[in-house]
Amino acid sequence: MSEQLNNQEDIQDVAEMETDELSTIDRCLTFESAGLILYISTNNVIEIINNHSITTLPLMPPYIKGIINLRGQILPVMDIQQRMGKGPTEFTGSACIIVLDIDSVSLGIIVDSVRQVMDIDLKNVRPIPLKHQQKLLNGMVTMEDGSVFMSIDCQALAVPQ
Amino acid sequence: MDNGMEGMLDTYLFETNSLLDRLDEMLMADEKIGDFSTDDVNEIFRIMHTIKGSSAMMEFSAMAEIAHHIEDMFFYIRDKGIDSLDPQHKKELFNLMFRSEDFLRGQVEKVESGEALDTDIDSFAADINNFLKKISGAPAEQPEENPAAEAPQTHPAALDHLPDDKEAVCFLHVFLEDGIGMENLRAYMIVNAIQECGIDLRYYPENMETDSSTAASIIEEGFFMAFTSEEDANKASDVLRTQNYIRSYELAAVPEPEPEPEVPPKEEPVKSAAPASAPKPAPAPKPAPAKQAAAPPVKQNLISVSLMRLDSLQNIVGEIVITESMVTSAPELNQLSRDAYDNFMKSARQLRKLTDDLQDISMSLRMVPISGVFQKMSRIVRDMKQKLNKDVRLTLIGEDTEIDKTIVDSIQDPIMHMVRNAMDHGIEDDPSERIALGKNPQGEIILSATHTSSEVVISISDDGKGMDPEKLLAKARDKGILTKPESEYSVKEALGLVMLPGFSTNQEVTEFSGRGVGMDVVKKNVESVGGVVSLASEYGKGTTFTMKIPLTMAIVDGMKVTVGNSIFTIPIANIRQSLKILPEDVIRDENDNEMLELMDSFYPVVRLHQFFNIDTDVTELSDGIVMWVETSDRSFCLFVDELVGEQQVVVKPFPAFLNYFELKNSGIAGCTILGDGNISIILDIQSLHSAALENA
Repeated sequence: MSEQLNNQEDIQDVAEMETDELSTIDRCLTFESAGLILYISTNNVIEIINNHSITTLPLMPPYIKGIINLRGQILPVMDIQQRMGKGPTEFTGSACIIVLDIDSVSLGIIVDSVRQVMDIDLKNVRPIPLKHQQKLLNGMVTMEDGSVFMSIDCQALAVPQ
Repeated sequence: MDNGMEGMLDTYLFETNSLLDRLDEMLMADEKIGDFSTDDVNEIFRIMHTIKGSSAMMEFSAMAEIAHHIEDMFFYIRDKGIDSLDPQHKKELFNLMFRSEDFLRGQVEKVESGEALDTDIDSFAADINNFLKKISGAPAEQPEENPAAEAPQTHPAALDHLPDDKEAVCFLHVFLEDGIGMENLRAYMIVNAIQECGIDLRYYPENMETDSSTAASIIEEGFFMAFTSEEDANKASDVLRTQNYIRSYELAAVPEPEPEPEVPPKEEPVKSAAPASAPKPAPAPKPAPAKQAAAPPVKQNLISVSLMRLDSLQNIVGEIVITESMVTSAPELNQLSRDAYDNFMKSARQLRKLTDDLQDISMSLRMVPISGVFQKMSRIVRDMKQKLNKDVRLTLIGEDTEIDKTIVDSIQDPIMHMVRNAMDHGIEDDPSERIALGKNPQGEIILSATHTSSEVVISISDDGKGMDPEKLLAKARDKGILTKPESEYSVKEALGLVMLPGFSTNQEVTEFSGRGVGMDVVKKNVESVGGVVSLASEYGKGTTFTMKIPLTMAIVDGMKVTVGNSIFTIPIANIRQSLKILPEDVIRDENDNEMLELMDSFYPVVRLHQFFNIDTDVTELSDGIVMWVETSDRSFCLFVDELVGEQQVVVKPFPAFLNYFELKNSGIAGCTILGDGNISIILDIQSLHSAALENA
């Protein structure tokens, strides 16, 4: 992490960043998919939309649901439940699309429901003990009420399988 | 490198490249007439000056130094006048300049790709300097190399040395540095610089600009500038401090300053009869303003805009057009009263007109003249002419034809390849062959560009050997790329063989063409921008390649068809016919592949719903519609559910994320947003054919 920062920031900014790093709180959007509670940094979230008609694209893997017209932008939409190797997300009233921007790659993901935005202390995030079995998740954190949240690996999300 | 520097680098690269392009253009034009015009000499001087300055600022010292040497050289030429060079020198100068341009371009490319710049430039710099010495040595009477030998002693500015100038109240007596060469011109430059600051002065020796023999006296005794007021002299000495090559100067007042209350600042003819200062101010300042007038480069009212911004502008304009039609066709409008509705429609029509205009303008922003590409070709022809020792002239027609910027980039290589082919293979090696055939001994390559309503037609024709269908067939036979008996090939088909991969008629690979990749690459490149290449050749008379390229790829006339719930758009240019067929028309082969007989030929049928795996109720060929489509040389039938209608659509590329899935290779060119906000997928007939029929 700090290495990345060094690359991105000017030298004089590093000191500042390091003090920032001491408070490792990140604002995250939590949502549900595949029976899990997941979170993603709000830095990557552009907006949440629902009721969009998806145009299917032929010759795509099943988890790529197609494309939508988001105010003139063509946005690919992925079902992360299917991406994680499960069945397709059922379109219930609460299902919606989270629009993400991952290193300038725009992408919509379909989730069962969106919960809330909350601060997650990155110091508390633990790696998932089952190594190399996760396709999309790269960390887990236990909240005060005992529930476990999983972190979505944005980089993995932005690279099609 | 921080961001500010990077932005500067971009600007630098852009500026330097445009300057080099301009230089290239001038050199080509001037070489054609075999002479530099005075304006061009000035312009080259300025270009080199700018490159020198900006390169030095960016710390590209090799470039700065070379540019500096060339600047010096042109400084000399500018002052001497280009006519002082004899034809042989001019020829050498052209070659030297082309070499310099190549060197600078090479350096710029290295900067662009982040490589280290050349540091070993001494020999090249020496070449330039030698040439400068050569041209300066000839016309100048005294060799200017050895003024350093007779090192002048410092002459006190004795008043009795002052030139006779009745009006002057002040003199500046200036000594130049030792051994700088061309002292008279340096002195004149200094005078000029001061004059450019709006200071009125006379200088002595007054003929130093034109008479190089005054150099000796300037070395010995310095030179004088006469001012009509002390204020001017002080200003001038400020300017002097900024000048190079000055060893020392002194301000000397005239012993008995004649009271001259109202000295008009501008050229008052000197009435003095003194022989030393014959009335001369009138002719002297003349050349200076003239030069100044030429100095500021013709200001172009152009700005450079990144293509990305234009793309997003185009996108937004496309959206506006679509949104407008959504608004004006909203069902809620029916609830308006009649008057209100009429008023609304009136405004809506006005809006439609404005958006149409907006769309036209945003389209035209992306259009650039093709002259840039053509210009590069004249350079290639020039170089090859020398290397191959063939006498060829390149005729350019329709250079100002405008085409989409993205298309310009992708047709440059094909055009270059064809021009090289024409030079290398097309034009006869021996002029006597041409004379024997009654042709002009000088070969000709014509590069032309014209517009039709929807296409740009670019043709490259030479009046050389032409292609021999027999030879082509024999060659193809050797390569084993014939697909049917030789005798069945028509002339046109035989010519078409050169477009096949792995076909190159030249036995040896030359420096310029025949690198194993040949016309098939040209064809591929042109097809990638939606164009077609065709070829006509008459043996013994010449060859013409014609490329037809759509004006822009951003907007396509399309036919909307449905398959299941999906809406596809087929470019109208690809549609030959749409037909309803009866079940008994269908012919099947042993694998149950379907074919149709149309106009005495058989064409395979691609069922779009099968190929794309789309659920649809229409599975009987007789229930749906068959679209007979074709691209340059492939023709087949597409089976779809229903025809919806024709529409002009704005092509949108797929988001970057989907590039991974190689949609372009599976028959999908892009997508478009329809008037109702839905997305339609635009088919690419060419790749659809490859995906569905060739690789099946």
